[in-house]
Amino acid sequence: MTLRVHTMSRMLVASAIGASALGALVGLEACAPVPKPAALVSYEDLHRDPRTEVTRKQFPDLVASAEQLGQRAEKEWQSNNLDDSTRAALVAEIKLKTALARYDQAQSRARLQAIKTEQAEADLTLTEVEKDLGATTEQVKLMQQLSEARQAANEEKQRLAAQMSSQQQKTEQLSNQLTTEQKRTEAQVAVRTAETVDAAKYAAPEYGAATNMLAKADVEISQGNWQGAQASLEVARKSAEKATEIAKPIYEQAERATASKARDESLARDAAALPGVAVRIEPNGELQRLIISLGELFTRQQTTLEPGKDESLAPVAALISKYPSYPIQVIGHTDNRGRAGELIALSQARAQSVFSALVAKGVEAKRILVSGQGPNAPIADNKVAAGRKKNNRVEIIFLYH
Amino acid sequence: MKRRPSPTFLVISLCVTFLGLLGFENRARADEDDDLQRQIDTQKTGASDLEHLDTRHSATSELQRLRDWLAQAWDLRNKHEPDAAREVLDRCLAQGDLIRQIIAAAQIRSEVSDREATLQKTKDKIARQRKALLDAQMQKKVLEPRVGQ
Repeated sequence: MTLRVHTMSRMLVASAIGASALGALVGLEACAPVPKPAALVSYEDLHRDPRTEVTRKQFPDLVASAEQLGQRAEKEWQSNNLDDSTRAALVAEIKLKTALARYDQAQSRARLQAIKTEQAEADLTLTEVEKDLGATTEQVKLMQQLSEARQAANEEKQRLAAQMSSQQQKTEQLSNQLTTEQKRTEAQVAVRTAETVDAAKYAAPEYGAATNMLAKADVEISQGNWQGAQASLEVARKSAEKATEIAKPIYEQAERATASKARDESLARDAAALPGVAVRIEPNGELQRLIISLGELFTRQQTTLEPGKDESLAPVAALISKYPSYPIQVIGHTDNRGRAGELIALSQARAQSVFSALVAKGVEAKRILVSGQGPNAPIADNKVAAGRKKNNRVEIIFLYH
Repeated sequence: MKRRPSPTFLVISLCVTFLGLLGFENRARADEDDDLQRQIDTQKTGASDLEHLDTRHSATSELQRLRDWLAQAWDLRNKHEPDAAREVLDRCLAQGDLIRQIIAAAQIRSEVSDREATLQKTKDKIARQRKALLDAQMQKKVLEPRVGQ
């Protein structure tokens, strides 16, 4: 029982202590300041923003109005008029935010203006750079085209030069070939010419050298050694010409002799074939004389031809004309009856008559030399009539070597 | 001799005067409510317009705050507390101006951003063209000896 009382008394004491403590706490709370309204705190936070100071410079009235409301909110809060404080703080916050928004706009506008200026400058710079780039690019393009064109032209030039060189070589080869052929022809002609004068016989060493060089040249031509062939052909030509030069006079002399002999023989044959005439050949030193003796052309002491005798001179005239290269003598002869001077005159007159008759039949007068020897060259005995008849004659003489 | 008005007449007169004053007060209160309602409606319409203008959603929280305050003003009007309602409406006017300024600032910032991007593109292009020009000039120097200029 005592313990229960004691316990109850303890509980009462504890309750009294608790009540006292609670009362003290309530008293302390009543004395503490009222917390700031959220709107006021928000305004103050915003007011501490560093932009507020710079905004004040641009919008002083608006910021001052906000600060005035903020101070009023502060006073109302300190006076525990929380509703009034909140309302004032809200409006203050709105005005300060408005000022900051306007400041942002001003800043952005300034930035926008700066950007526009910078953009204009950048556009101008870009235009200039693009213009320079376009011009330079065009120049580079043209220079590249020019460079390529020059390179192509050089390549074409080289190609053409090579082609021309090849063509030149071919032309040169053809030219050498043609020149060689020409020289070969010339050498062959020279050799043939030498052969026509019998150079093998009359100029054997030179002719042999020419034919040897010609053969050598043929070998060189087959080997394509044009220069060597040309030199050999030149030597062959000169050797052949020299052989011709040496052999020609000898050959011509021999040829002339042969021809003359043949002609003389032919003349003798033709003369012997003449009807009614006596033909003989008499040597007279180096000269040979073919004598055609014509008798019974004149009557005694007459100087004109007997009628009908003129025609007998026609074959003689034809013979003289056939052999035009022979000089002709017409010589009159008589027997020894009469004075020597008269006989010579008679013989000359008779020779002249024959000459005239021959000329009348077409013989060239300038070929004929007329003379009279009278009785100085008898061919028969003048003591007998037959002899005198033979001695009265006119002789047609062909002179030759 | 002047006659005194009867008490009944006085009572009736007083009643008539009281009723007249009472009708005038009711009429004034109705006009006040109408005026508040008109102002609230006008500001609500303005809030809708501002919401359409805020294409970048830069003033969403402030718009919500405006709508809350307009609702508060409507409540105060319905509670026939016109002074408090007008105070809230005045705050709404200031809030609307703030929203307009925020939207305008956002628009300008956006334009600044767009123009900065354009400017940066132009600068990049200038850099590329300058490099191309430098390359072309180098190429030209290389080609000059070949063409003999």
